[in-house]
Amino acid sequence: MSGVHRLRTPLAWALLLVTLMLLMPQLEGVFRLIAPDNRTLIYQRDSFASLVVNHLMLVGVASLCAIVVGMGAAILVTRQWGRDFLPLVGQLASIGQTFPPVAVLALAVPVLGFGSTPTIVALVLYGLLPIVRNTLVGIQGINPGVMESARGMGMSGRQILWQVELPLARPVILAGIRTSVTINIATAAIGSTIGARTLGDPIIAGIVNGNTAFILQGALLIALLALCVDSLFERLQLR
Amino acid sequence: MVLAATVALGLPLVSVQPNRIMPGEGLTLWSLGGPLALAAVLLLLAALAWLAWRPTRRALTLSLVLVGLCLALLPWALVAVAAEQLEPGMTSARIGLGAGWWALLFVLLLALLELLNRLALAPLLRWGLTLALALSLFAALMSGGLDSLALMREYHGRSAAFHAALRYHLLLVAAVVGVSLLLAATLALAMRRWSGLRRGTFSVLSVLQTIPSLALFGLLLAPLAYLAARFTWLGDLGIRGIGWAPAFIALVAYSLLPMTRNAYVALDEVASEVTDAARGMGMSPGQVFWQVRLPLALPVMLEGIRITAVQAIGLAAVAALIGAGGLGTFIFQGLGQAAMDLVLLGALPIILIALLVDGLFSALAEQLRRAQGRGDAHG
Repeated sequence: MSGVHRLRTPLAWALLLVTLMLLMPQLEGVFRLIAPDNRTLIYQRDSFASLVVNHLMLVGVASLCAIVVGMGAAILVTRQWGRDFLPLVGQLASIGQTFPPVAVLALAVPVLGFGSTPTIVALVLYGLLPIVRNTLVGIQGINPGVMESARGMGMSGRQILWQVELPLARPVILAGIRTSVTINIATAAIGSTIGARTLGDPIIAGIVNGNTAFILQGALLIALLALCVDSLFERLQLR
Repeated sequence: MVLAATVALGLPLVSVQPNRIMPGEGLTLWSLGGPLALAAVLLLLAALAWLAWRPTRRALTLSLVLVGLCLALLPWALVAVAAEQLEPGMTSARIGLGAGWWALLFVLLLALLELLNRLALAPLLRWGLTLALALSLFAALMSGGLDSLALMREYHGRSAAFHAALRYHLLLVAAVVGVSLLLAATLALAMRRWSGLRRGTFSVLSVLQTIPSLALFGLLLAPLAYLAARFTWLGDLGIRGIGWAPAFIALVAYSLLPMTRNAYVALDEVASEVTDAARGMGMSPGQVFWQVRLPLALPVMLEGIRITAVQAIGLAAVAALIGAGGLGTFIFQGLGQAAMDLVLLGALPIILIALLVDGLFSALAEQLRRAQGRGDAHG
């Protein structure tokens, strides 16, 4: 299969996303059917393109931090000298998962103020856990015999990490990153309640003004964004 | 090994040193208690580090006692600070919890977790310790010494609303878990009967899961408002566009995937030899289900209930945005007024409830597994 062929599904979703993002104003007639009573039918405080870009930026930065920190922590505690921290990190990861994202978001505000920074921090914290857990599972799930033979071949610790452990654990780690990013695309919308500019803005404006059209516009774009990224990861995992 | 254990216990403890309380005026430990208090805290840390140096069982037990004592004394230290810093006449003065306090709490809890892990205490002892810590906190609250805490001031300002919100939040979550458990059990049973149903159901449920909660709440507003306007008896039941109805429906929709998946997997995973043996013993299909399959599936199903409940507790907070009430109300009110202690009043109980429910269900599932393990050994 050629590269483009393999990327067909994510590309289709992305195309749909971009089309909808740019042509939303042209769809006024459709939204009039849904919300006939409202005067304005298209969210206008920001262009959808800028909201999508901002949303993606927040999620991207947060996910990048989460991947670096999460994989780093998981790799550290699976080394010989870091093994003592293993139960602690594993337990922290599972406890952190029980923290509701809204509460994390709300608690980040007193420390970091309103806006994008607390949103990113909350997203990083929330996105860390699936990555840490899956990296741990992936590395620990490697057949000990494989590790033994790698060591027997005279590979150094660094070589084993890059050429044996990470490639073998790749599917599981990717699955963790996929969960983390997908959750964060949906969670980032809540960032709008603390003043970050995301696709949650139209949704909140819609809830406040009782305008279903606004809500639908935000929700549609978020769902498309999630589907697009999710199918991209699906392709990556298949490789 | 010894060195690593020292770092595990020693490093985070040392980093406590910039100990600050009350960022309002930025009172540090030094300015609160003078050199004596600083020396006492440093001594304590040194003792812990020294104990961690040789992680024998006795040293670990001793440090567990020390850490537990510190945690139990933390609220009382606040009582003392409050009594000393605020004059009796100042009724509106309040004490905020500073970054140092939270850092100290976090590190102590981390150490507690690590020590409990290492010592592998019996569950009874674990719960006893937790209960003792909770009791100490409760006693400090009851003594009235913490009333000048900003958090407590917010609480006293709206204690009736707080209790109502707490009750409401718990009720909503309990109703969601109950209803989705019933629905999920029905779905799982139906999927076992008609296997063609499986693929469709799971794909519908996982698409539901990708819709952001905020959007799902919002999208339910209009249809429900329309229905309520159309059929007045629905409105009489309290089903309106705003309120508990959209929150309830959305939460059940989100709960169905983990609940159904776990129920299905749990029922499906029971080894066929076991059910064959039961049938061979002359049990009827009904007996096989109720006396063999269901009990064996229970731990995994409990896991599903745990995930669902924890998720619902957090999502119910978001539902406050669409007027569903609950503890989330305080979070969004506080964010709107930039009153951070009001945010805490909403967020802290939510986190506590989530942790409590998580621990409770994990312990229950663990207990069940253990009981079954024993049963196997005997049988």
